[in-house]
Amino acid sequence: MASPILATKLYIPPPPPQAVVRPRLIERLNAGLHRKLTLIAAPAGCGKTTLISAWVAGWAQRDPLVRAAWLSLDEGDNDPTRFLTYLVTAVQTIAPDIGPGLLAGLQSPQPPSPDVILTALLNDLTTLPDPFVLILDDYHLLDAPPIDAALTFLLEHLPPQMHLVLATREDPSLPLVRLRARGQLCELRASDLRFTPAEAAGFLNDTMGLALAADDVAALETRTEGWIAGLQLAALSLQGHPDRPGFIRAFAGDHRYIADYLVDEVLQRQPAPVRHFLLQTAILDRLHGPLCEAVTGQPGGQARLAALERGNVFVVPLDDQRAWYRYHHLFADVLYAHLLAEQPEQVATLHQRAGAWYEQNDLLSEAIRHALAAEDFERAADLVERALPAMRRSRQEAMVLGWIKALPDDLLRVRPVLGVGYAGVLLASGQLEGVEARLRDAERWLDPPAGIRERPAAPAAAMVVVDVAEFRRLPGSIAMFRAGQALARGDGPATVHYARRVLDLVSEDDHLLRGGAAGLLGLAYWASGDLEAAHRAFAAGMASLQKAGNIADAVGGVIALADIRMTQGRLGEARRTYEQALQLARAHGDPVLRGTADMYVGLSELAREQNDLEAATQHLRRSKEQGEHTGFPQNPYRWRVAMARLRQAQGDLDGALILLDEAERRYVSDFYPNVRPVAAWKARVWITQGRVSDAFDWAREQGLAVEDALSYRREFEHLTLARVLLAHYQSDGTDRAMQEAQGLLARLRQAAEAGERAGSVIEILVLQALAHQLQGDLPGALAPLQRALALAEPAGYVRIFVDEGAPMAALLQEAAHHGIAPRYVRQLRAALGQAADRPPANQGLLEPLSGREREVLRRLGTDLTGPEMARELMVSLPTLRTHTSNIYSKLGVTSRRAAVRRAQELDLL
Amino acid sequence: MSETDTAPAEPNEAGHYAIRLQGHLDARGAARFEGLTLTLEDNGDTLLTGPVVDQAALHGLLRKVRDLAMPLISVTRISPGQAVAAEVQHRVEASGVDQGLKKEMGC
Repeated sequence: MASPILATKLYIPPPPPQAVVRPRLIERLNAGLHRKLTLIAAPAGCGKTTLISAWVAGWAQRDPLVRAAWLSLDEGDNDPTRFLTYLVTAVQTIAPDIGPGLLAGLQSPQPPSPDVILTALLNDLTTLPDPFVLILDDYHLLDAPPIDAALTFLLEHLPPQMHLVLATREDPSLPLVRLRARGQLCELRASDLRFTPAEAAGFLNDTMGLALAADDVAALETRTEGWIAGLQLAALSLQGHPDRPGFIRAFAGDHRYIADYLVDEVLQRQPAPVRHFLLQTAILDRLHGPLCEAVTGQPGGQARLAALERGNVFVVPLDDQRAWYRYHHLFADVLYAHLLAEQPEQVATLHQRAGAWYEQNDLLSEAIRHALAAEDFERAADLVERALPAMRRSRQEAMVLGWIKALPDDLLRVRPVLGVGYAGVLLASGQLEGVEARLRDAERWLDPPAGIRERPAAPAAAMVVVDVAEFRRLPGSIAMFRAGQALARGDGPATVHYARRVLDLVSEDDHLLRGGAAGLLGLAYWASGDLEAAHRAFAAGMASLQKAGNIADAVGGVIALADIRMTQGRLGEARRTYEQALQLARAHGDPVLRGTADMYVGLSELAREQNDLEAATQHLRRSKEQGEHTGFPQNPYRWRVAMARLRQAQGDLDGALILLDEAERRYVSDFYPNVRPVAAWKARVWITQGRVSDAFDWAREQGLAVEDALSYRREFEHLTLARVLLAHYQSDGTDRAMQEAQGLLARLRQAAEAGERAGSVIEILVLQALAHQLQGDLPGALAPLQRALALAEPAGYVRIFVDEGAPMAALLQEAAHHGIAPRYVRQLRAALGQAADRPPANQGLLEPLSGREREVLRRLGTDLTGPEMARELMVSLPTLRTHTSNIYSKLGVTSRRAAVRRAQELDLL
Repeated sequence: MSETDTAPAEPNEAGHYAIRLQGHLDARGAARFEGLTLTLEDNGDTLLTGPVVDQAALHGLLRKVRDLAMPLISVTRISPGQAVAAEVQHRVEASGVDQGLKKEMGC
């Protein structure tokens, strides 16, 4: 982003000299300050900007504490990321410390969602001591729904010290009705902004010094209906006019579109050089002395602009140095229409001259805009090729797409660097169509048909390359984009193939491409379950990215590395990975590095596993403090899942479910394989709550079955299915469920051991032990338990056992009797003791059974099946299961047989 | 002549529209609204008539009208026949033939 242009967007325009003072409107604006939004909605030329600037200028005397941040919007801002970037920048003009890291986040490859950005921004804004106003001028130029949504979000959460002002030509898609009803809206509309007859007189006679008679003022006021732009143009036409009454009479009696009519008049009254200047500079968005000279071929551009400003000829300064100006929009539109009508053949030339000036001054975006307007496509293409790297780095893909789409296809075909760049931008924007065609077109220039090395005869078919360095990297870039395409299609083998090609083709010190390719390889290996290869690839990728100076992405890869180590049961290494990354992030401190929030979530998960719930909570808190925007897009999701598991460990199952629901809503579709989907987590909570049929529904919806082919991607879900089957066995006692569960577990164990996923193996062994226990086979349970303990102890697992609750407590008691891993078992039993909320087995019932529960208990002692019992009791099956679950809980048992036995012991039947 | 003669085409496909503005646009106005016929009415209105490719194009036109700050009176869908008639009328007036005819016929 060129800084002179940026500065002009943030500049607070001063009111024009000798502007009409409009106290009644100023008072309304002042009164509206305590509301949320001031909306000034009126057509072009109604004096919106002037009014606001006069209002702001008045504060200096009235209330110096109130500060204003101004943002003048352009058509090009109609992209959410760009808009938010400017928004944050505008706010930072009055509070430079606000939202550190937000701009960096917005510029990164995976920017946070608008809500995350705005939340972080709003949190910071709430801490500002003094009131302030954010002014958005020309809001009608933005019509992208995400921007309206962002602004709605902002309004809903507006801090009390903040006020928003929107100036627009049409009502915005914001909840105006609601704001009006709640008294949160201050509105000024066209009818308010019109000059009253008194104001019109003040303008014409005082500001413009015309000294007109009352009749004449009235005639002008009537004809223009108080439209300020009309009165301004009329005044300009009248200055030095030889026949004022004649002019006014003619004007009053005319029907013509006022702006056209009067601009004609104004132009006729100007000396030829001025007229020439006005018409020719009408093609420019912004006016600057040297630029105007280049376009018009006239010297003294700066002086000319200053003179126009003094003469109130619709020229607005864009900075205090008076280096840049712009025409009032309406005036520029009319001038341009005039130019088109008078000298259409000139227009392209003028654009070319403007483009050349911008190019010489390294303002490529503007140069491209003018080249396209001049239909000088060759030059535009050259410029786009030059601009591409910087545009990609600053995430301005939308703009690049717009440019390239304006270029003729055959131009792209002879420009391989541009063509490949286009493919890259398409991919980055998620548009797969057309990518392959572009890559093939480019490849033709790299692999000419055998034996033919010279250019084809026709010069029109000659290859054009502007960025030679980029051309040399093309083979690697093309392979990289093919890998990206394959990944987007979900084609793992193809991804690996092309990513390997990149590493072959690319030079040793092209760290960016090497890092990217290694990352893709990592993803492909991970999805296929080859964790060790994935870890190697990710680690290599991160090293390359660090060498390329891309620290943020290097840190991001850590999440994958640690996750893999956790699955492999290497918890200590996982923790070290996070801690090292945090150190690296802290070393790069200011602003906070992207990914920091994620590191804390990872550390929290590790702490939870080792049953340090206090530390786990602390880490999550610290993650929140960093702010969601300092995490990758998946951070809100991961945080909530971690918190849900923490709640579960604390016994708050309902709380856990609420968080899991929230997590589901925040899930972001990305390329990381979603190996532990939220729905499976929820199913596990349901099982703990005894909601077995809900869990079954989940399994059915996911299409999970015991005879499924097993894959790493669905390992967690299949494990969850095994749990569902075991729970079913527990409540219904059907042998089939147990057989299926054990069969599935055996297969899962084989696959996990083959894939060296110790973490998964431990869980499987735990379930196998519990399965044996449910059948009353204690020796059979001890074997897998012993193996699980052996694997888990060195890594420091705790909750993988403790989460299983009372059944595990009973098993561990047995293990203690048999002298298995005595110290570890003691530690786990102690942890369970703390977690236990059930009374010891032989102390009678602390909590008596309800009447209903006794009825169910009586039937448990019979031969009735679950469905039969439910029918007899006239309850639904889920309700029955809830009752039985509560009964077991109160009796301190885990199976129907045991419940009956215990009830007999306690004489409950 | 019914102005709301329903065209059989789908609303999202090409249709013909008549856009009525308060105030007279001149030749430059015609250049702004390329492809539409511009008729200046005696009551001070301008009528823009002609084919509009689809809804998106229609909204683009309305945006141009918005930026003129000329009051928009109405937007009406018309039949192709009405659009052609407007264009013929415009050409006749532009060529001055009708003035000549009126003179001859003593109007």
